[in-house]
This record gives sequence, C-alpha cells and structure tokens, in this order.
Amino acid sequence: MTQVTLQYYAQLREQAGASSEQLSTGASNLRELYDELRTRHGFSLPIDALKVAVNAQFSDWDRALTEGDTVVFIPPVAGG
Amino acid sequence: MTRFTITADNVDLAQLREDLMHPGSGGFCAFEGWVRNNNEGREVSGLEYEAYTELCMAEGERIVGEAMERYGVLAAHCLHRVGDLKIGDIAVWIGASAAHRDEAFRACRYIIDEIKHRLPIWKKEHYLEGDTAWVACSHTERAHEMEPPHVHGHHHGDAHGHSHTHEPQHSTEPATAVIPANPEQGASAGTTRRLDAETESLDPGLRQGGELKDFTPDYSRQTRLRDVGEAGQAKLAAARVLVIGAGGLGCPVISYLAGAGVGTLGIVDGDVLDASNLHRQVMYDARDIGQRKVDLAARRVAALNPAVTVHTYAEPLVAESIAKVFAQYDLVVECTDDLASRYLANDAAILTGTPLILASVYQYEGQLQVVSSIPGEPCLRCLWPVQPAPGLAGSCVESGVLGPVPGVLGTMQAMEALKLLLGLPRAKDHALQLVNLLDGSSQRLPIDAAAGCALHGGCVEVARQAIESAQGQPDIDRLFDRLHDAIAAGYAIIDVREPEEVATQPLPVDSRCVPVALVTAGTVELIEGRVLLVCASGKRSSHAARLLRQRGVEAYSLAGGLTALPLGLNT
Repeated sequence: MTQVTLQYYAQLREQAGASSEQLSTGASNLRELYDELRTRHGFSLPIDALKVAVNAQFSDWDRALTEGDTVVFIPPVAGG
Repeated sequence: MTRFTITADNVDLAQLREDLMHPGSGGFCAFEGWVRNNNEGREVSGLEYEAYTELCMAEGERIVGEAMERYGVLAAHCLHRVGDLKIGDIAVWIGASAAHRDEAFRACRYIIDEIKHRLPIWKKEHYLEGDTAWVACSHTERAHEMEPPHVHGHHHGDAHGHSHTHEPQHSTEPATAVIPANPEQGASAGTTRRLDAETESLDPGLRQGGELKDFTPDYSRQTRLRDVGEAGQAKLAAARVLVIGAGGLGCPVISYLAGAGVGTLGIVDGDVLDASNLHRQVMYDARDIGQRKVDLAARRVAALNPAVTVHTYAEPLVAESIAKVFAQYDLVVECTDDLASRYLANDAAILTGTPLILASVYQYEGQLQVVSSIPGEPCLRCLWPVQPAPGLAGSCVESGVLGPVPGVLGTMQAMEALKLLLGLPRAKDHALQLVNLLDGSSQRLPIDAAAGCALHGGCVEVARQAIESAQGQPDIDRLFDRLHDAIAAGYAIIDVREPEEVATQPLPVDSRCVPVALVTAGTVELIEGRVLLVCASGKRSSHAARLLRQRGVEAYSLAGGLTALPLGLNT
C-alpha cells in the first residue's frame, strides 16, 4: 500500500466533499488511483476530461505512485 | 395623438388643461416643475435646457402612453421646455385626467419620475456669480417602484409593468446620446453574425453632459511607478485590447484596463443583463436589466475614462471570422463562461500570434492561464486537448458562484494584461495557476509544452484543424419561435437536459429525453430522422448535435436554447 495526499478541484472537490485527503492505496499508477477514487466518491468526470499533477508537476496517467506523493486532479472549469 | 411636447416657447396652460378634459373624467391632476433660484446651496439666476430632441420625442411619447395604460387614465400630456428659462418659469408641465383622482395622481407621478430617468435632457445652471454648470437631470426615486403590482387599477401584467426597466437610461450618463434608443435584444444570437464592430463615438467633444468635456485623465499614481512612467503610459495609450465577455470576469478587466488608460478596448458580449448577474457583475445596476451588456459596458467605460475608444461586438465571435477580429488587437482577455468560446479564442490566438489571458471560475475557486502564442510555448489545448462536453465543466448557472470569485480572477487577468502591455516582470514559467478562495491557497503548475500539442503536430496545426472543424457549426443551429413550429417543420424533439431540469420545466410538446451524458457516452441507440436537440441555453444541445452528426444522425440544435424562445416555452 502507498500513502498519498490527494487534492481536488472544482466538481471533484464538490463530489469528494473535501479539498484534500490522505489515502492508503493499492493502485500502482495514477490511472488506477483515479479509477479507485471514482468508485469511492462517485466522480462523474471521465479521466480524459482531467489533468493530473504529482508533486506540483503535471504528469502522465501511467506514472507509478510513490510513497508520499501529493496528487492533484484538475478539471477544466467554465464559469465566468 | 401627440402626448409629449418639447418646446422652446412659452406654455399656454389653459389650452393644455382644456385638451385633457374628458366626459368620463372625475379627477384631473397637474404637476408643474418650476425653475427655482437655488440649487445645492448656490443661487441660480436661470437655466438652460438642452435635449436630444428625436430621442426625447419618442421616449416621452412612450412614457405618457405607459402611464395611461398602467393607471387607466383617460387623457394625459407632458410638455418639457428647452432653451433659456428664468426663475419661476415652468420647465415641465404634466397633466392627467381619469375617472378617479388616485389614477390621475399616480400617472402624474409616474410620468415625472420616468421623464427624469429616461429622457436625454441636460440642464445648465447659471449662477449669480456669473459661472455655469451642467447638472444631470436624473437620479430621482421612482415612487411607483415601491407600489405592489395589485394597486394598479389597470395593470396589464408584469411584462408591461416592468417594461420601463428595459429602456436605456438616457439621461444618467454623459455618453448616452450615442447609445441606440432601442438596442436589439440579441434574440437571434447564434444565427446572425456580425464581424464589424460597432464603434461607440466616444469623442469627449460630442458629449452633451458638459461635465466631462474637459476631463483629463490623471494617471499619476501609476506613472509614478518606476517601471511604468510616461513611457509605459504611452504604451498603454497605444494598446488595443479585446475583452471577450463583459460579465463577472469582464467587469474588473474592463474597469481596470479603462482606468489605466488602455487606448482601445474591444468588448464582445451577446447577452443582455439579467438580475442574477448583479451579485458579481459590478459595472451594472438594477436599472440596467434587460439592456445589452456591450452597450452598458461601453457607457461605463465612457463615464470612467472618456479617453478610451470602445468597439463593441454584440454577437459572440465565430470560427469563420474570429481570426480577423483578433488580428486587430495586441492582446485578448477571455472572460466568458463558455468553454467553446475559450477553446475558439485559444485557437484564434495561436493562429494570429496574439497573447491570450484565460481565466475561469467554479464556485469558490478559479484557474488562470496566460497563453503567450509564441511558438514552443504551451496553449490551452496543451493542457486539455479537446473541449470537454458541456455539462462536464460546470458553469455559474449550474454550479453557483460567489461574486468575489470572478472578481478576484478577473482582477488577476487585468494585472496580467497590464504586465504584458507594459513589459513588466512576469513569472518565468508557463503555468496553470489554481486559486482556492476558501482556504486561501494558490498553486502554479508549470505546463510542459513538449507533452502537449507538440505530440499532435504542434499548437498551430492543432489550432488550425480545430478552427476548421468548428466552422461547420452554424449549420447545426436552428431558430424557431415555438417548439410546435419545429415539429411542424418535421423535426423530432430530443430534450438533452438532465431529468431534474425536465421535471422542473417540462416541454409542452412530444419529446424524447436523452441527457447529454448519454449522447456523449454513445450509449443512445435508434436516433433516426431529422432531430432537433434542445437544452436550456443551446450549449449542450449544440455539442450533442455535433456528436450525433459524426454518427450520421441528421441532428440540429435549438439556437440559444429554451430560454431564447421568443414567445416563451409554453406557447
């Protein structure tokens, strides 16, 4: 299991009910992690509508998770 | 008959009164406005009224007509003097006769209040000391706005009762003489496209208000900054900036850029002001509801800084012509609440090499990205290559937003714009900035251009392809007065709204409900024949129609959505 810190923006924050959380996950990469979170929080956004960043750098979805990573999920928002 | 007179001649009171006599009238009420010998502590020797006569005649006639219908008076007339008046002269005469006194009193009051609000008339006071000053004939309270609707004996429903708030407030702002009397309300937004800007004539000399004639902007507080100075001010004066969207983000952008002395501002907005905009769109007030935002914004800029030239575009920019518009500006600031507009602006910026400042908000947070449009530096599509389906990225309508959120993000856009125009130091990296106004956090995430469009031929190639495919869109939009007309024309109606929206506002015609997410997911089967997709605003239906087209369905989208149906939904 890997300990990670998660940050959510926009609809993800709303659906998760928090802007951040700590998680112990068995996911090996970011794609699996998001799939796990979709089930857990009922996220409506598909993965291709999102950007993901790890430790303040945008990342590929296939990136492996490392202990202590801070993972940020960012959907585009439209309001103005 | 003529119920409104504007004249430089003396008034024959007896004749005016006699003309209003009516056998059914049991009450007559007259109001006279006189020239008094003082105003705000100064002794006045006389007055000079100046009017924009053509507008006054049309608007004055309308006001008296409104009062007659609203209160059911049998006859009414209003006369306004212009030219030189001395102390004691009658400046305004209003008379109304009705079956009962109450209607006559109320009609008089209504007419004088509306006259003061709506007529383009200016008053020059001559003081005993020999000097003069122009005084705005406005800012009066409207007594009838305090009345509950049911007190009007002949009230003809809300649409009529509130019609005055849909009129431009001609007498309140100095630049109003150049604002059209009855701005088109943009009912055909989405179909008739206009490339050319309407240029507001903002030459200070044309203004009749007087007080702004000799106004000289004072930029001393910003030119004092060493990095700005007179040279920086000259750069701003020469700059041309296009602001797309005059809403929550656009208000601070337009205000700060106008205040800073940006020489030319282009303003794009296809909407009219709605009451639900006021909590975040701080350039406007309640009297502006129903008016085109481009006109209101142009008027606001003229009042704030008459040195700024404003070009207005009252229709959204479209793929066919957007690049030509961008080419006329040094910098574009995207302030809409529309993802499609943001992507289109990105593509046009890349293709024309115009820097673009993007921002968007969601509830309590926002995103900011500066697209330099320099080859090798990242764009919006480097982050999110294709536009997500509408509905996936929440809007202010659907998700809610607290007013200061676009205020903060729009202010940040204005700051970025000034930094670019002035050549001030900026962050070295190209980043997406995320601002969370609940916990006060902000983070910059650097964008790696090599991992974005570069993988798909580069930003320019990606933008070129996107704008070409967007050019097919106008054929998707269809305009109807009523949904019944669409059915009569052979369209089957597909409602792509969410079930709860449909439950709140069901359609009055046979339709099939297919939420947009199902269309996007491709799980819908058996859509055949010619279909018209509908949603609240036309955004989701347009997106879904394009997807269905790709699957061979003859799909169209109701332009502007259900809210834009000219006769309302239930006709």
